[in-house]
Amino acid sequence: MSKLTNPEHKTKGTIDSITAQVIWGALENIAIEMGHKLTRMSYSSIIRESEDFGAALLDPDCNQLCESVFSTPLQLGPIPGYVRGIKRVFAERGEEFQPGDVIMHNSPYYGASHGPDVAFCVPVFDGSKLIGFSVTTAHHLDIGALVPGSCGIVDAVDAYAEGLQFKAIKVYDRGIKNQQMWQFIADNIRASEMVLGDMEAQISASRTGAERYLELVREQGLETILAASEYLMDYSEKMLRSEIERLPDGSYSAEGFVDGFENDPDPTKRDLKIVVSAKVQGGDIYVDFTGSSPQIPDRPVNMPFEGTVAIAVYLVLRSILLDTETHEYIPQNSGLTRPIHIHAPLGSICNPTFPAPTIARFCPGNIVASTLMHALSQAAPQQISAGVGNLKVVAYSGLVQGKYWVYIDITEGSYGGRSCKDGLDCVDTLYANTRNNPIEDIESHYPLRVLRYEMREDSMGPGTWRGGAGSIREVMFLSSGHASVEGDGHRHAPWGVFGGSPGSCGDLILNPRSEIRKLPAMISNLSLRAGDTLRTVSPCGGGYGDPAKRDPAAVLNDVIDGVVSRATAVRDYKVVITDQNTIDEEATHDLRHCG
Amino acid sequence: MILVGIDVGGTFTDIILADTVKRKLAIHKLPTTAPDPSEGVLLGILGVCSREGIGPGQVDYLFHGTTVATNAMLEHKGARTGMITTEGYRDILHIGRHQRPQNYSIMQDIPWQTRPLVQRRHRKTVSERVVPPHGEVLVALNELEVRARIRELKAEGVEAIAVCFLFSYLNPEHEKRVCALVAEEFPEAFVTSSAEISPQFREFERFTTACMNAFLGPKVKKFVLGLTERLEGIGLKGDVHIMTSNGGVATARTIAEKPVYSLLSGLAAGVLGGEWVGRRAGRENLITFDVGGTSADIGIVTSQGITEASARETRIAGFPVMVPMIDVHTIGAGGGSIAYVDPGGAFRVGPRSAGSVPGPACYGKGGEEPTVTDANVVLGRLDEHHFLGGEMPIYPQKAFEAVAKLAGHLGLELYETAEGICTILASNMANAIRSRTVQKGHDPRQFSLIAFGGAGPMSAIDVAHHLRIPEVIVPLYPGITSAFGLLTTDLKYDFVKTELLISTQNPGSRLIRDMRELEAAARDQLLKDGLPENRIRFLRGLDLRYVGQGYELRIPITENDFDGGECDRIWSAFHDRHRVEYDHCFPKNPIEVVNLRVTGLGVMPRLPESFERNPATKLNDAWLRTGETHFRVKGSLQRLRTEFFDRSRIPAGATIAGPAVFFQKDTTTVLPPEWNAHADEWGHLVISRNL
Repeated sequence: MSKLTNPEHKTKGTIDSITAQVIWGALENIAIEMGHKLTRMSYSSIIRESEDFGAALLDPDCNQLCESVFSTPLQLGPIPGYVRGIKRVFAERGEEFQPGDVIMHNSPYYGASHGPDVAFCVPVFDGSKLIGFSVTTAHHLDIGALVPGSCGIVDAVDAYAEGLQFKAIKVYDRGIKNQQMWQFIADNIRASEMVLGDMEAQISASRTGAERYLELVREQGLETILAASEYLMDYSEKMLRSEIERLPDGSYSAEGFVDGFENDPDPTKRDLKIVVSAKVQGGDIYVDFTGSSPQIPDRPVNMPFEGTVAIAVYLVLRSILLDTETHEYIPQNSGLTRPIHIHAPLGSICNPTFPAPTIARFCPGNIVASTLMHALSQAAPQQISAGVGNLKVVAYSGLVQGKYWVYIDITEGSYGGRSCKDGLDCVDTLYANTRNNPIEDIESHYPLRVLRYEMREDSMGPGTWRGGAGSIREVMFLSSGHASVEGDGHRHAPWGVFGGSPGSCGDLILNPRSEIRKLPAMISNLSLRAGDTLRTVSPCGGGYGDPAKRDPAAVLNDVIDGVVSRATAVRDYKVVITDQNTIDEEATHDLRHCG
Repeated sequence: MILVGIDVGGTFTDIILADTVKRKLAIHKLPTTAPDPSEGVLLGILGVCSREGIGPGQVDYLFHGTTVATNAMLEHKGARTGMITTEGYRDILHIGRHQRPQNYSIMQDIPWQTRPLVQRRHRKTVSERVVPPHGEVLVALNELEVRARIRELKAEGVEAIAVCFLFSYLNPEHEKRVCALVAEEFPEAFVTSSAEISPQFREFERFTTACMNAFLGPKVKKFVLGLTERLEGIGLKGDVHIMTSNGGVATARTIAEKPVYSLLSGLAAGVLGGEWVGRRAGRENLITFDVGGTSADIGIVTSQGITEASARETRIAGFPVMVPMIDVHTIGAGGGSIAYVDPGGAFRVGPRSAGSVPGPACYGKGGEEPTVTDANVVLGRLDEHHFLGGEMPIYPQKAFEAVAKLAGHLGLELYETAEGICTILASNMANAIRSRTVQKGHDPRQFSLIAFGGAGPMSAIDVAHHLRIPEVIVPLYPGITSAFGLLTTDLKYDFVKTELLISTQNPGSRLIRDMRELEAAARDQLLKDGLPENRIRFLRGLDLRYVGQGYELRIPITENDFDGGECDRIWSAFHDRHRVEYDHCFPKNPIEVVNLRVTGLGVMPRLPESFERNPATKLNDAWLRTGETHFRVKGSLQRLRTEFFDRSRIPAGATIAGPAVFFQKDTTTVLPPEWNAHADEWGHLVISRNL
């Protein structure tokens, strides 16, 4: 499949606007309850602290009706694709959904986002009639790949090397637990007690969603629920279309680069190109990735089309066009995908073919999002930010008394400057929105010590509205272990816009206080001894507008706060700050106006 | 004994004076004074005292609910604050949990970055480091450096300092030492340490709480001490107690040091008032539902008492607050909520509100958009003669015009539109209640809804209908339930200690030792407040989770649960609680103790069980008129003959069938068809579904 265009939707039944509002609230409440249950029951910090999970209800045609609003877009967006994938597998194998089934699925060539993000899908039946699906997805700590952890598996040469592949597996078949399957999983993944605990939590949350959905259907009638859902999807679609219509018709394009494997002898494995062209035509938008790099057959930076590329596109368009800060809160459902049409050539990094590996698609996907935003900066200059700093995901692991411990740390990025606002500092960016783990939690549960966690200074992209600051984080091993990293942003700084300068690149340094060894952004299972320290440095966002037009008072504030140096104030902002922390008005005027 | 409760809200200051011997109650309401609310407090006390013919010197206890701290946070008007923290971690306060508040937004702001409690220039670091598991000192505190940083802060003009070190909950010595050095170098500064405010793990939340305390400190201290002084000035000798977020009260002196405890002062009083009403009626499970013009505040009470919020869920002005708080959930839905059609054509109600200015269209103060109040006017449930005791003129025609205009946009009939406004509002409110009940393992069908505030009794039965709640109770004085709540509580101090221990490693003796330590601290505080030993009680609890989980469940425990150092009863209580909350438990898995909690209670005098009342003897005396109202019955909207009553004259024991409307000075109760209202011996209306 290379095109994601939505089929003509059915004509909607009759529903009044009052009932529609009531049902919207009830549906969203169910999804929130699912998410609540999942986070509170789960074991691994990646779910319970980082909130790297999703929960949603779908109609029988795989349209998403609602989602748990307190979780991560990259987990939420793909849920309809997971279930479409399950349906495709079932069609190929001649299987059917049955009451009592729980289906486990993670195949990126069948709609999944990538292997570690496993879905548990409960088909909802009213009697013998299939009326929808209740689904949770979550990132698991380990999925049985070639090295410990489920991120930084950057050496996987194909889909088989990425870990176990669950292609629509019924872990409960008509209510009966498949004990053999569970045993098989337990035997083939690391930290299995924790992972299985998280999977149980997912099943429990999905079942709760199914029960609540059924209660709602019995209370309101299926016809009413489906009509209301259709109404709500039409509504969300209409909201998005009316925003697309405000953009001038035309074609907007931009290029971005993913670092890839900077130390690899093969040059085709680095500086991978993402080419985006967005054509706005009335109330539709056509996003085309033609011209992007071909897929890398033996490195896992290829992006599943449906589970990653499409999600990045939907996320950026929704965040720009229906920004929740400036717009009505509207239902997050499949209606929002209808005006959006995406194409990526088969065999490209944006639409790979099996068995090309995909497990480390996280960072490239954020570049897809950022590049699309760059393209749209021409059409919607007030609604975008300048270039965004990408993230790093680090898996720390080790063996204690024959048992694996794995800790996944997602380090934050930063946003670029915006119209009348500076960029956000030290946050997860674009389709990621996880939480960090408290230092006091990490050090209490793993043989690690966090030595430093601060903002970067004097590195943000200068602009009238400057970019946000990235972070510096240092983690020391207290006993020997391993680290794997999948990151990006060492080679290509976030873009500046409208006269703003680019931000700055990130970095990764081993033992920053002694040997200072520079490492690439992609590392597989680096062996480390007690006392070894990794410093992650995240990129700083790009600037928005001419830095020489920045309000000198804002520059002064930055200097006093120690985030911009006096030298930078002069060089980039053309503002002279005295040693007494005042603006030298005369010198500033001369710099700004007399060259 | 004379007790006085004073609840200062945004619009009104409510005062209640209770004479526990004569069983007499006096109520007084006056506008809240700005910018200094203590003016109104003083005027109010003098007013009620002179009306009752007693001198302020006769008042034994004064209880006060205040929004000074809350408003300072909401308006971000606090002190210039400095921070001293561990080297390497200057920006914990700024980075937070690195999560964006909104998933789908480029233009959003992050509260702690846009409106920092402590600007970066005032965040100073010093070398020191404490490490787990037991708070060992890895890097000693460099006192020379500390003194230098304090002097810098002094020179920079800060008024308050928060001392925040990693792992201080395991070992607070470094923090304590820095506080002592501040006292030497900069004695005028208001100083707070993170372990003293909330000795629990999660550094961002703990540091933020400590910085918030420092940020609020100078302002609240000035207010509280000023109020105390002025009260003494009018001859009041009784102790002044301030309602705290945990539903207890604390002395004015304690709040002057720990203002962060008073953030939910006003909201907590409402939940307590609702609890008092429900308990008088003999009900165990209660949902308190306090609705004003702009928002609805929801609290949950079960046999375990008032539900507390988990540390993760407590926020104010977008900032996390890590102190024990009643779980009060606020949503933007009230009598002034505006109904409108959004650009996508959807019919919406709230969260935008007409507030009190311009107010609903029917107020005739320039409001043109239809509100929930206007919808009730259209449906015939409010009338111009009796709205708020007839003191407030309303213009029904304006309500009709506003709703008709909306009906035109929606293509709906006028009355359908008005009823739709009420339905959408009730649905929004019901969802908010669901998030507090269903999602926490409580079945709303086993609860009574206690409806109060100016707009609560107008919507409550619709909400009950949505949730299948069988019963609604409307208190005798719905408008001053919060002030009542102030007179129903105890001195309450929470002490907590993070202690990561595993159930399989015999933690009993350590827990007992720690428990004694916390009890001693709680006792000290209460003795300091002048409580005699025989009025001191303790509540104890543990925050537990399965090893590896991240969310704790609070399990109440008693001394007897430690069976000679064995904790089996505690563990099984945890498994049971886990099953209730998540339909699931793992009896074979080890359990991790996270926090140990002791609450010290100092028993206070309370409202008497009953009061003198003079209701009419016959229901006829309460009857006002017969009118027509619109209600939906079995799916269709009907115009029904409806009786209107004066609530204050309803005799005890009377039963009235819906549809009916009850007017009283501070609210209107709407009784739909198929529901009955019964006036109980306390004067509360107990409303239940017609069987």
